Order: sequence, then structure tokens, then C-alpha cells
Amino acid sequence: MRRLIACVVVSVVLFTLSCQGGSSGPLEAVRGFFQTATMPIRYFGLVVTAPVRGLGNIFSNLTADQATLSELQAEIDSLRARNAELEEQASSAERLQELLDLRSTYDLQSVTGTIVSGASDSWSSTVTIDRGTSSGVTSGMPVMTSAGVIGQVVSSGPSSSTVMLLSDEGSSISALVQSSRSHGMLTGSANGEVKLDLVSSNQDVKVGDVVVTSGLGGVFPKGLPIGEVVSVTNNPGELYLDIVVELYADASFSEEVLVVTSLTEEQRATAEDIAEADSQESSSGTDATSDGDESAE
Amino acid sequence: MLVADKNRTVRTIAVLAIVCFVLQIAFAPNIGLGNGRANFALVFVACCAMFLSPGSSAVAGFVAGLLFDLSSTAPVGLMAFCLSLAGYALSYEGRERIASEFGPQVIRGAIASLGVSIVYHLAMFLVGQGGSFFDVVFLRSLPTALLTFLFLLLFLFLLSRMKSSGPNLGSGVGGGGHLSRRGL
Repeated sequence: MRRLIACVVVSVVLFTLSCQGGSSGPLEAVRGFFQTATMPIRYFGLVVTAPVRGLGNIFSNLTADQATLSELQAEIDSLRARNAELEEQASSAERLQELLDLRSTYDLQSVTGTIVSGASDSWSSTVTIDRGTSSGVTSGMPVMTSAGVIGQVVSSGPSSSTVMLLSDEGSSISALVQSSRSHGMLTGSANGEVKLDLVSSNQDVKVGDVVVTSGLGGVFPKGLPIGEVVSVTNNPGELYLDIVVELYADASFSEEVLVVTSLTEEQRATAEDIAEADSQESSSGTDATSDGDESAE
Repeated sequence: MLVADKNRTVRTIAVLAIVCFVLQIAFAPNIGLGNGRANFALVFVACCAMFLSPGSSAVAGFVAGLLFDLSSTAPVGLMAFCLSLAGYALSYEGRERIASEFGPQVIRGAIASLGVSIVYHLAMFLVGQGGSFFDVVFLRSLPTALLTFLFLLLFLFLLSRMKSSGPNLGSGVGGGGHLSRRGL
């Protein structure tokens, strides 16, 4: 009985001292030493119980009170929002990096911009970007994404510009088929289909051929990717092939764009390029004449 | 012969102490039922009470409780207090019963588990550690008591099997050998 009383008294004294001492004092020092000394055993237990710890968590989750669950839910919501934000930033950084790579590859003098809205009407294919005259953007400048050309600036304000997309009915730029060097005019249409017109029917154009800017006209740098040929129709009796092109860049899925502000001398069409385009035009004219003669016969 | 029996009892208690200590440090924090954790210090004390006198059981309970307190973040001395009383009561109660019966040991162990768990958690609640009363009683005390009781059941079963293979295991240390008369 005396030992019990002694133990109880010592316990009460220790408890009182511990409560009064808080997180400091000799008892906490002893506890710290004890916990350090037993750390290897704790690690051992952690490793051994790893497979069954999940089971304990299930019970913990089942018995968690409403406040804990609410806190956890709020934390999940916050982390989810943060995660989405970070993913968005990572995605944006990736796209910007692609634009930088593109600018570096083609040695483009350009400014980056962001598409802030689409067309405000239903009959034109345009987008608005957040760069205007204050950033050096003016009408006529080519606009592209990392995938390829998307259009041309048609109007500029101080801090925003409107870009006419290649699929717009009023859009028309000079382009060529990369493999056969066949020149033509890439035009949009009301139904969104993009065609490469004015390619002579005697040219060798196949489905899958890549279409790039030709540089003729001095607006677009030559060699920028536009799209690829998805159908070629050679109608008997017609001077030109009916070529449908699928664009690489889709403005509806793009956010960051590159506005080409000026061209270097290398990016402009050379005299040989112009002569080649002229020769194709004249040969198609000759073919048309001979065709016409054959028809007359 | 008595010396040999005492030695065997000491060895049994030493092994029990080591096993329960390791289980308390290594496994108890990682295996829980709700917010409850098994109390191997109580398991040790309940087992020791079968071999020791009430006074010795109280000391064993005090030491076990002190180690439990040091391994936790709760105020030091609370579990030592609870287990000192529990050890004394279990050993004292055991004097009046026939120890060879497994049933009474289990019942005493269950009562001790529940009592110690509730007293400990209520005391923690009163000193401002822990959540609501409902949380303390139903989500901490009861799961702790249940888990502790389950492990105690296992230990009592193993000890009873050991006793059947060694008839003199129950000789008391410092308690006048009362367990040797009644068996384990």
C-alpha cells in the first residue's frame, strides 16, 4: 500500500510539474531524450506497419468529425484550385516556350500577344489580341501560333488588334506547296473551308503535301507552315486544281500568338521566287491555250 | 525450486516488458481504430498483476505508465497515475479470485481497459487537450479500450498457454507466492 501511495504521489507531482512546465522544463528534456533514443524503434514500426496503416486510415476517416471533414474539404478545394492554376501556368509557359522556339527558328522580329476574344459577329472569322499600336502592331502584320500561321492583323487600336483568320472569307495570302513548289493563293470561305487557289492543273500536288507561305507580296515571311493538303481535285477543262487545305493552327484552341512586326531580307521572296511563280502562271496560261485549241478541234 | 520459479517469473516479466515496450513505441502509433490507439503499457500491467504482489504491480504500473507518458505528447504522470492504481487493483483483486480461470482475468482486463482509458482521456479533456466530450468518450476512449482489450486478450491467452506448459510460472515475486497456490 505504501508503494502505491508513493507511486500515486510521484505521479501527481510529475503531472502537476508537467502541466505547469508546458513545453519547456526538465520533464520535456527527458521526454525529448527518450523520444530520440526510441526513434529507431519508431522507424522500425513505421516500416513494418506500412501495409496495414491504410486500414487504420479507413477507420479514422469513418470516425472523423464534421469539423475535420469540412476543413479537409476546404483544403481539397483550395489545393484543387491551386493545382488548376499551376497547371494553367505550366501550360501557358509551355506554349510561350514553343513560340520562343518558333521565333528563334525562323529568326522572326515579333511581339507576343494573347487572344482575348473571338469574333463579335457571326459572319467573320476574326480574333482580338491584346497587342496594339503601342506594342508596334499595325495592320497587315502576320499572326501565328507555334503550330503555324493563323491570319493577319486587319485593324489596330492602341492596346488591341483584330486579326482576320485564314479561314475568313475575305482572307487571301500567297502560299506554295512545299514539295512541288506550286504557287497559289490561300483563301478562306464562308463555310470555314480553306482552299489553295490558282495552282495550275499541270502541277503535281498530292494529299498530305505541306503548304507554307511563299513570301510573295512582302507581308508574310516565306516558309512559315500553314497546313497540309487534304484533298486535290483536277476537274477536266479547268485551268486550276481544286485544293482544300487543313490549317495546322486553330485559333479557337490557341491563346498565345506571335505577331511578326518586320521581315528580314532573307525572309522576303527573292527575284528567283517571283520568276518561278510567274513561270508557273505563264505555263498554266499556255496549257489553257492549248486545251482551248484542242477543244476547238 | 522457489528460486528457479522466481527466475522464471522474472524472465517472463522481462520478456513481457520488452515486447510491450516495443509494441507501444513501434506499433501502437501506427495501428489505430478511429482515434484510438492500443495501450500496451496497460496490457503489460494487467499481465504483471498475475505474477506480482499489489505493491509491486503498482510500481510496475508506475514505470510502464511513465514510459507511456514519455512516448506521448501528453502531460507526464497521468498514465503513470492511472496504471499505478490499475496495477494495484488488478493484483489485489486477483488475490480474491481463482486465477486459473481465464474468464475472470478477461473480465478484469476489460474493466481495467475501459476504466483506465476513460479516466485518462477525461483527464486530458479536463486539462484542455482533446476535442469535445463526445470526441473524447466515443471516438478516443472507447476505441482505445477496445483495441487494448483485444491485445490484452491475446496476451492472456498466450500466458495461459505458457502456464499449461510450465506449472510453476505463476510463482509470485515479492507477493508471497500466492499465484503458485491458485495457478495461473
